[in-house]
Amino acid sequence: MRTPWKLQNLGRWAGLLALSVGVTVLVFLGGIVLLAWQTGEGQASSLGALRDVSQALTQEADGSYTLQNFDLPQDAAAWMLLLDADGNVVWQWNKPDELPTHYTLGQVASFSRWYLMDYPVQSLARGDGLLLAGQEKGSLWKYSVEFSQRFMAWLPGWLMGMFFLALFCVLALAGLLLRRQFRREQRGRDEARSNWISGVSHDIRTPLSMVMGYAGQLEENPALPEQARKQAAIIRRQSQTIRDLVNDLNLTMRLDCEMQALRKAPLELAPFLRQTAADFLNSGLEHEVDLDLRLPKAPLPRIEADAFLLRRALNNLLLNAARHAPPGSVICLGVTNSVGAADPCGPPSPTCVLWVENQTGQAQAQPSDQDGGAPHGTGRKLVSQIAQAHGGRAVFSDGTRFRGEIWLPVGDKKQALRDGRA
Amino acid sequence: MAYDILVVDDEPGLREMVQDILAGAGYTVRLAGTCVQALQQSRAKLPDGVLLDVMLPDGDGFALLGQLRDLADLPVLFLSARDEDADRLRGLGLGADDYITKPFLAQELLLRLGAVLRRVYRQPAPPEADRLGETELCWGAGVLRRAGREIPLTAKEFTLLKTLWANRGNIVTIDALCAALWTGPLVGYENTLMVHIRRLREKLEADPSHPKYLKTVRGLGYRLVREERP
Repeated sequence: MRTPWKLQNLGRWAGLLALSVGVTVLVFLGGIVLLAWQTGEGQASSLGALRDVSQALTQEADGSYTLQNFDLPQDAAAWMLLLDADGNVVWQWNKPDELPTHYTLGQVASFSRWYLMDYPVQSLARGDGLLLAGQEKGSLWKYSVEFSQRFMAWLPGWLMGMFFLALFCVLALAGLLLRRQFRREQRGRDEARSNWISGVSHDIRTPLSMVMGYAGQLEENPALPEQARKQAAIIRRQSQTIRDLVNDLNLTMRLDCEMQALRKAPLELAPFLRQTAADFLNSGLEHEVDLDLRLPKAPLPRIEADAFLLRRALNNLLLNAARHAPPGSVICLGVTNSVGAADPCGPPSPTCVLWVENQTGQAQAQPSDQDGGAPHGTGRKLVSQIAQAHGGRAVFSDGTRFRGEIWLPVGDKKQALRDGRA
Repeated sequence: MAYDILVVDDEPGLREMVQDILAGAGYTVRLAGTCVQALQQSRAKLPDGVLLDVMLPDGDGFALLGQLRDLADLPVLFLSARDEDADRLRGLGLGADDYITKPFLAQELLLRLGAVLRRVYRQPAPPEADRLGETELCWGAGVLRRAGREIPLTAKEFTLLKTLWANRGNIVTIDALCAALWTGPLVGYENTLMVHIRRLREKLEADPSHPKYLKTVRGLGYRLVREERP
C-alpha cells in the first residue's frame, strides 16, 4: 500500500544521517591514518639522516670533527651541531649566527624534544656528546602526546568500535541505495503492469459498449419472442458483470501500484450508510432481496475516509451477498462502534466495523448465476485493499451465511493505547 | 421537437449503435469519425447536442470541445472508454455537460442526454401540475387539489413533496430530505421530519395510516411511489 509521506521522509532523513555519519567516520579515520603515516615518515627520515651523519662524523687526532665521505642529503636538516658533555659546540654545520656556542643542561633538556630558539630540533645521543639536527623556523610542527595507560588499554576497543560504526554506516548506505534502486525498478514494473491493464480494459470497453447497447435494445424489443428477450437480458447482465470486473481490476491495480489518490475527508457514518443502502436499493436490483440497515442507538464516530472508495467496497460486499442469496433473502448492512472490542490482530484501539451479512443463508443453487455468475476474488481483494488503504482490514466469513467486515480505525490510536493500558 | 445530435466516435460500429439507440428514442442523428468531420458537420449546421469521444484519429476530444464551443455554446457529453478520474475531471473542467464512460447502458445514455438537453433548452417546460393518484399536485400555486377541494401546503411540505417527486420511485434518505429542508448541522431533525411527513401524508393520502403513495423505508428514508402509466 501507499507509504505515508512522513515515513518516506523519515527514511530519507535516516539515509542522510547514515551517509553523513559514515562519511564523517571514514574521513576521520582516513585523517588519523594519514597523520600517523606522515608523522612516522617525517620522524623516520629525520632520524635516519641523523644516524647517517653520526656514523660519518668522526673525531680527528687534534680533537676536531670531520664528515668522512658523506654528502648531506637535501632537506634532511638546515643546520647541525655536536655538543660535548659540557654543552659546548664542538662541531657545527650551517649554524645560524643567533645560536649560542654553549648550552646549559636546562636548555638541552628543553630543546632536545622541542624547539631551540624556534628552530625545530631533533637530537641523537652518541658516546662523545649530543648531535643536533635543526630545521628552518616554521617548517615543522612538533607536539608532545601523552595518554594515560588506562586510555591506551581502551584504545584498541575504541578503534574497533569506530571501525564497526563506519562499517555499519557504509552498509546502511549501501542498503538504502539498493532499496531505492529496487523500488525504482519495482515502480517501473508496476507502472508497466498497470498501463497494460488500463490499455486492455480500455480496449474492452468499446466492444462491451456495443454488446450492452445491442443486448439492451433486443431486450426492449417487443417484436422479439419472450425467450429471445430473456436471452438478451442475460447477455446484458453478464456484460455488466464484465464491466464491473474490469472496473474492479483497474482499481485494484491502481491501489496495488499506489497510483490511486486517497481523498480522505471527515465522514459521518450514519448518513453515509443510509445513502449507500438507498443507492443500492435504487439501482434497480435484479436480485430479489431486502436490505436491512442496522445502526446503533449510540452516536457513531466521525471517521476520516475516502467516501468514494468506501462506498465501492460496501457495494461490492452488498452485491456479493445479494448474488449468492436466494430470492426473498434479507441482507443486513450495519456498523458496530467497537471501542474496546477485541481485535485479535491488533492492540486495543477505537475501531468501527462496517459489515454486510446475508441473514437468510446462501442459496444452494444460485438462480442469478445460472447464466455464468461472476468470480468474487477480485471484489474481495478490492475490499481488502480499500480497508488497508484506510489503515484497517477486511474480514470475510463464508459459513452458511456470508459476512464481510471492514474494520476501520477511529481517532487517535496513541490515545487509545493509553486508555487500553489504563 | 426532435433534437439533432452529432455523434463523434472513431469506431464505426459504436457510432451505428448509438445512432440506433438515439433514433429509436426520436432523435435526429448525424455521425462523424474525426475531428475534421465533426467541425465540418457543425459548421454546416449546428447540432443541438454533441456526443464526443476523447480519442479520435486526428486529435483528442478535449481540444475539439474547445473548437465546438467557439462555434456555439453547444451541450457536449463525453462518451469515452477512458475512465481515469483525471480524464473525467479534465472533461468536466473544460465545460462538458456530462462524462459517460464506456461501456454504458442504452437507457443510461438516453436518460443522461435527455437530462442535459432539458437543462440546456428547458424543454419541455416543467408542468404546472402533476398527478399522483386522485390528487393533483399544483406546483405553481403550491397546493394540492383532490375531489374539487384545495389543500394548501406549508413551505416545508412543498419542498418535501418537490424533493420526493423529483426522485419518485427511488428512496430519498432522511439526511437528503433534511438537507433539502434545513441548512447547517442536520443533527436532531429526524423527529421534526417525521412530523412534516405525517402532515404531508394527511394531505396526500386517502388513508394516512396506510399510505399508498408516500412510503416509509425503515431506517433509510421515504419513497414516493412511481405510478405505472396505463
